[in-house]
Amino acid sequence: MSAATSQTMERKSASAAGAPSPVLDVLALTIALPSAADREHAVRDVSFVLWPGEILCMVGESGSGKSMCANALMGLLPSSVRITSGRAMFDGQDLTQLSEAQWMGLRGARIAMIFQEPMTALNPLMRIGDQIAEVFEAHGRLTPSERRARILALIAEVGLPEPEKIARAYPFQLSGGQRQRAMIAMALALEPAILIADEPTTALDVTTQAQILRLIRDLQKRHGMAVLFITHDLGVVREIASRVIVMRHGTVVEQGAVTDVLERPQHPYTKALIAAMPSEVVASASGVKADPVLRVRDLRKTYRTGGGLFRPAREVKAIDGVSFEIARGEVLGLVGESGSGKSTVGRAIVRLIEADGGQIFVGGEDMSGLHSDALRRARHRVQMVFQDPYASLNPRRKVAGAIAAGPIARGTPPAKAMERALSVLETVGLDRAAGERYPHEFSGGQRQRIGIARVLALDPELIIADEAVSALDVSIQAQILDLLRDLRARLGLSLLFITHDLRVAAQLCDRVAVMQNGRIVEIGPAADIFLKPQHDYTKSLLAAVPGLAWREAAREPA
Amino acid sequence: MSAFWKRFSRNRGAVLGLIILAVVIAIAIVAPILYPQSPWKMVQRPFLQPFTLPAFPLGTDTLGRDVASGLAHGARVSLLIGIVSTFVALLIGVPIGAIAGFAGGRIDDALMRLTELFQTVPNFALAIVLVAIFQPSLASIVMAIAVVSWPPVARLVRAEVLSLKTREFVDAARLAGLSGRAILMREVLPNALSPIIVMASLMVATAILVESSLSFLGLGDPNAMSWGFMIGAARTVIRNAWWLSFFPGLAILLTVLALNLIGEGLSDALNPRLAREGR
Amino acid sequence: MRIALLILSRLLKVAAILLVIITANFLLIHAAPGDPAAVMAGEAGAADEKFLAQLREQFSLDKPLYEQLAIYVGKVMQFDLGYSYRQQMPVADLIFDRLPATLLLTFSAFLISLTAGVALGALAAARAGGWADTAITSAALIFYATPLYWLALMAVLLFSVQLEWLPGFGYETIGSNATGFARAWDIAQHLILPAVTLGTFFAAVYLRMTRAAMLEVAGLDFVKTARAKGLSRQLVMRRHVLRNALLPVVTLAGVQAGQLVGGAVLTETVFAWPGIGRLMFEALTQRDYNLLLGVFFISAAMVILFNIITDLIYGVVDPRIGAAA
Repeated sequence: MSAATSQTMERKSASAAGAPSPVLDVLALTIALPSAADREHAVRDVSFVLWPGEILCMVGESGSGKSMCANALMGLLPSSVRITSGRAMFDGQDLTQLSEAQWMGLRGARIAMIFQEPMTALNPLMRIGDQIAEVFEAHGRLTPSERRARILALIAEVGLPEPEKIARAYPFQLSGGQRQRAMIAMALALEPAILIADEPTTALDVTTQAQILRLIRDLQKRHGMAVLFITHDLGVVREIASRVIVMRHGTVVEQGAVTDVLERPQHPYTKALIAAMPSEVVASASGVKADPVLRVRDLRKTYRTGGGLFRPAREVKAIDGVSFEIARGEVLGLVGESGSGKSTVGRAIVRLIEADGGQIFVGGEDMSGLHSDALRRARHRVQMVFQDPYASLNPRRKVAGAIAAGPIARGTPPAKAMERALSVLETVGLDRAAGERYPHEFSGGQRQRIGIARVLALDPELIIADEAVSALDVSIQAQILDLLRDLRARLGLSLLFITHDLRVAAQLCDRVAVMQNGRIVEIGPAADIFLKPQHDYTKSLLAAVPGLAWREAAREPA
Repeated sequence: MSAFWKRFSRNRGAVLGLIILAVVIAIAIVAPILYPQSPWKMVQRPFLQPFTLPAFPLGTDTLGRDVASGLAHGARVSLLIGIVSTFVALLIGVPIGAIAGFAGGRIDDALMRLTELFQTVPNFALAIVLVAIFQPSLASIVMAIAVVSWPPVARLVRAEVLSLKTREFVDAARLAGLSGRAILMREVLPNALSPIIVMASLMVATAILVESSLSFLGLGDPNAMSWGFMIGAARTVIRNAWWLSFFPGLAILLTVLALNLIGEGLSDALNPRLAREGR
Repeated sequence: MRIALLILSRLLKVAAILLVIITANFLLIHAAPGDPAAVMAGEAGAADEKFLAQLREQFSLDKPLYEQLAIYVGKVMQFDLGYSYRQQMPVADLIFDRLPATLLLTFSAFLISLTAGVALGALAAARAGGWADTAITSAALIFYATPLYWLALMAVLLFSVQLEWLPGFGYETIGSNATGFARAWDIAQHLILPAVTLGTFFAAVYLRMTRAAMLEVAGLDFVKTARAKGLSRQLVMRRHVLRNALLPVVTLAGVQAGQLVGGAVLTETVFAWPGIGRLMFEALTQRDYNLLLGVFFISAAMVILFNIITDLIYGVVDPRIGAAA
């Protein structure tokens, strides 16, 4: 049956049973995009219901229209985008028909919203306390002294220490997680009936994300709010949602209770999304040879900041004595949160950063001692695939030229280098004709393939993937991981896979090393790390992965 | 290329600017044909009002010189000085900015100190001093304007190079074993070209304004009949002969306006993401 | 304690820049075609042999270059900027006599340009795309392209000659012996045209910057957060957008300081305003290089002072500066 029909039936049965009415009832919402856009509607015929006291997750990849929906429910659509039909009933009013004055009364007081980027979502020139006070000011509630008391209470409620200090602080003095908590405090200030959360944890570390999710769940229970939680991560859905809506290209593909949709998906897209979600530990491939292609010994890198005439320098040990090996044909995952030093290790190995101490042996040869010309000649042996598909290709060079540049610099005759470039494009699953095009003509996933092709053209002994799939949608991510698995099997590649996402690491890696504060705290076969973690940090990291615990529990032998 | 022209022509102001500039350039080119005699020659009675005699549509000045002829020849002077001094300023500023941005460290510090120094000093005053000390001539004016205009170019190029230097495709080029020079020339600078071109067009406009200001103060090349000089010479008789100040000033205004409009059009066309309609 | 040390390091930097400018002046005198003594004496003084001999002795022009430089720098430190033969006065006296007039003019112009520019720029940004925006930005574009001295001449022509609303020349009415408030009013009337003219050009500059900055800030995330709190559009514009958009404008004001002083030269020339800009013009026509370089040095010092002030303002407005990194 169609989504709308099942929803109507749901509503009918609920009201028949004397259950409370929905706090938000969206019917056939359609939002049109300006004519220059690549499709006609941001959102088409979307219907759903939000019940009081529940968490409804809206899930979809980029371009699914989920953010547009959320903006529409706050009256914050950009001026070029209009609601063309549909209704959204809240408190007896149709949100699609409200005037700006009416919206001002609702926003922040009855419906509140928190956003994705904590770094930019707060005014850098205003103190935190003042920004929270604005909510009261906007709706003319409470006297100034009452406001002060309430603000401090709110700051404490969202779990921030020393409320007095936080209230007087500026955003740049808080961490990402702290800023997100401050935003939540702002949203809660007037006890809204609905909280719309637009990917609030996407930009946060795994452990911070877990804390914020827990906070939202607790607050929601305590205040009886209804929460519309938008995310692209099915793991988060598993973690907190009671019901879920799956969106794609602006339409609702499937919706229902979380257990129903995730365990018995109906629509092929939902099935594909669930399948693409990395959650299983893949059995490690055999055929790993003994001799190490990479040996890192006691690597060190310390960053010194400040230290002018009148200030003591601050030292940060980005890499604090790291040692490990990668065998030929093996995939080692290097996992950690931001600030753990994993990216620094990668960059130090390829000499984009100069380490302060330690040695790097590639295929038995000491690379750390090489400089200038000798280094340039040996560089091809270790290559890197980068994170940002939009910054990793020169926008002014044709793809084939960019790929061939490396071999040409090594002395390969241009014609041969071009031929190699075109053949390597085929290896990664693109046409030879792609070589004649510019980067902006390709999608993110295709650009990552080109990045991989560029690396393969140099015949490296070791490839380092620095968060190579982190910027991609889940389904594209799965494709690139498949490609890497395939290339590894065919070409016997050795890979150092750097990521913050444990689930992704589980998909691809034979062994996994966990980093914290510049040190490797645990290293071992992937299955061991995931199923029998030893170090406390590893355990907390695993516990923080959204949805994993649920999945483990579900898989417990009955 | 055609996509570029399409984006450019969508900006009506830019197209207007292009037309105006084309007219000015055309006048400059045909000036020796239209007015073969030197504009310094006295051809009629002084203080002839404009629009009275068809042969002298814009009247004559205090010494009986043809204003229209002066305007036409002045166009050559202004455009010549504007373009050449901008070219020299780019020749100084682009390498300094590129090296500072790319090399970083102490070289960057030293070059930026130098740039800062030049930017702290009042530009126009410095230009006056330079031209006065080295005696006014086309060469000294071009040099003075170039010396005063290169710091913003260096700053811009340095900023662009710094931002490009951290982009991952530059890292990839380094990993592929390309030399520092090759990376700067083939990967970084081609991507920095657009803002440099936009800035260049605005610099020509500024150079024309500075040159005319110098001429107004009497520091112009004594052999060159430039628009600024015409206004300066007519300063004391403005009550009686308004047209002597008005027409040359209008010419400067239109030329500079045209260049500014073209600069904005170029900026929009080369950076479609930053185009005016906010998304 | 930290503030004091910050100021100290800033002052050292200023002293270094001034030293470089003095040295540059010195080098220019010697780089100019002809005898340095004749250059320093100026066109008028070069005719007087006795004066030339006096100069040669004063500046020890026969000694090696670096000794001369030391002497020159030493004199400047003691505020001895040389002697103007033509005007028969020490250069320093001439300059400090006329400095107040220029300060009055430039500060008035600065205030006018900043308030008009920011106000109109904010208005244009608030009504972006509408007719008010188009009108304002077109006007700004035209004023931006207008030569300052021509604008001044046209202003004199229109407001002083044709309409006779305002005086077009000088500082105060000649021959009137007014004092106190009446005198201030007289000066104010003479100030209007030059200050507004000088201010208009820079108003266009600030207008464009304010408009661009506001449009850019309006698209940032925290503005959306502010609206999501239920604040009115005006309040969001004022408190969130404008305050953040002013940061680049303050920076720009510092950069424009140099241009403002340069513009004063042209404005004072046209309006016969008795400031150091006019003095520079006189020095040019009289080929009095000592005076010229002296004015140049003082105007550079003015710009530096102005930059310090804008840096301090920026430090006050932006809480991220000043807090330890």
